Amino acid sequence: MRLVLLLGAALLAAPALAQVVTPSDPADYPDQPGRDEAVMFCGSCHSFKIVASQGMTRAQWDESLKWMVTRHNMPELEGEELDTILTYLERSFPPKPAGTRPGWTNPFAPSR
Amino acid sequence: MHTRIEADPARGHVQAEQPAGTPAQGRRNLLRGSALAALGAALAMTAAGRGAPPVALAQGKGPQMLDYPGKHKGLAVLGDRPLVAETPEHLLDDDTTPLDKFFIRNNGQLPEQEGNPDSWKITIEGEVNQKLEITLGELKQRFQAQTHRMVMECGGNGRAFYAPTARGNQWTNGGVGCAEWTGVKLSDVLRAAGLKDSAKFTGSWGTDPHLSGDPEKRAISRGNPLAKSMDEHSMVVWGMNGQPLPHIHGGPARLIIPGWPGSLSTKWLSTVLVRSTPHDGSGMGGTSYRIPVTPIVPGSTNDGKSFVDMEAMPIRSIVTAPANGTRLAAGTRTIALRGAAWGGQAPVARIEVSPNAGQTWQTVTTTPPRNPFDWTRWTHSLALPSDGYFEIWARATDRHGVAQPLVATNWNPQGYGANPINRIAVLVG
Repeated sequence: MRLVLLLGAALLAAPALAQVVTPSDPADYPDQPGRDEAVMFCGSCHSFKIVASQGMTRAQWDESLKWMVTRHNMPELEGEELDTILTYLERSFPPKPAGTRPGWTNPFAPSR
Repeated sequence: MHTRIEADPARGHVQAEQPAGTPAQGRRNLLRGSALAALGAALAMTAAGRGAPPVALAQGKGPQMLDYPGKHKGLAVLGDRPLVAETPEHLLDDDTTPLDKFFIRNNGQLPEQEGNPDSWKITIEGEVNQKLEITLGELKQRFQAQTHRMVMECGGNGRAFYAPTARGNQWTNGGVGCAEWTGVKLSDVLRAAGLKDSAKFTGSWGTDPHLSGDPEKRAISRGNPLAKSMDEHSMVVWGMNGQPLPHIHGGPARLIIPGWPGSLSTKWLSTVLVRSTPHDGSGMGGTSYRIPVTPIVPGSTNDGKSFVDMEAMPIRSIVTAPANGTRLAAGTRTIALRGAAWGGQAPVARIEVSPNAGQTWQTVTTTPPRNPFDWTRWTHSLALPSDGYFEIWARATDRHGVAQPLVATNWNPQGYGANPINRIAVLVG
């Protein structure tokens, strides 16, 4: 499967200078189809934490992936692999409603 | 009744609970949680210990806190690869931001540490009469040193206030610090290489490896018009708050391009390229560090071709004491507020606070900045009419009459320029 090859390439490119950090763990993120693929693919270059902190539409996630391809030489995803990862991102991290976005929230708000 | 608020509730207690480990331990155990609860406990303890009424912070699910050698454990981790951490507003309560509280922003990996800082090499090339290769030691000998206290701020500071969410690290107001930078004027170094008439722009590179480890890629490279590089406050620095520039902040040597997006202040500076055309390094063009001229619909897609490079940072103010979420004793009717304001576009002219969501505003007392690009510290004694829940707003206005907006405006896909009024909530009783 091409995705596995891409992951392998990304891991092989892992640097000698790599800092010792806790790798992104799929179990930390919403349990939806495509979770392992998304966390491993995105997490091979950067922490998945930044992914999970966003909330975007499918079109915006697609645009973000394209941006990483042109800007950071991310291996381009196509077909079923692209669909798997986009679907996971879209379902798990959709646009956040007001009050749940990052930014300022009332620290005294009653918990629901 | 006047309630005294601890300037830095987290100091001491949290550090005592979690002593700094060895560098190896620090790396292995980068992240810790539950810091907000610890903060609340610490605040209550310190206040009680000084005979002041008990205060506490609201409890809640907090961000992951940083555990990194030499850094304050109250910094909030936005990303661990690359390492990015912001300074909560209440930890920006010092007039000069201490090294341990200074925010961290990386685009790539950390380069290896230089054993002998004075042998660090910097190259000036491009549209110059003679390519200049100089060590940091030679730089210190050859040019006149200067020290200025200046704000360093991430271009994306405030991004978290955009709706809908903009792409990137979700900074609140904590991608900022104000330190005393010691170094030489960048203009002196560029002139030493001899600027050609064709010299119009600069671009720069550091030695930080790309996040992927690919040696063919650069982590980031940014640039600006030559005029900004020739500003007497644009510097090559090796000192921060009187100490050698820490590795995590770009030591042994970095650029400081004050008042503009922090990414221009290249860390681990190795090369400045003088150019006849705008710089085209990674980190330039598209939607990166660029903002719309013609405002776009929030949430829409855009390739950024019609955007312009973000230059001077917008005006911003913050309340640094009390901390957001502070609970005060019943009967408290006066709060001692402290804060800071700054902006790259024009000097701060006025700072106001409101206890009632902007219905009425009160002007605060300011301490003049030491030099251009320093921040303005302010204090204010705010009267409250009753017990209860209050949101305290702060806004700054610059000398051109431009004030902070109530909400983040001019939305763009990567979220640059969000500077809405700052707010904290306190609960009396």
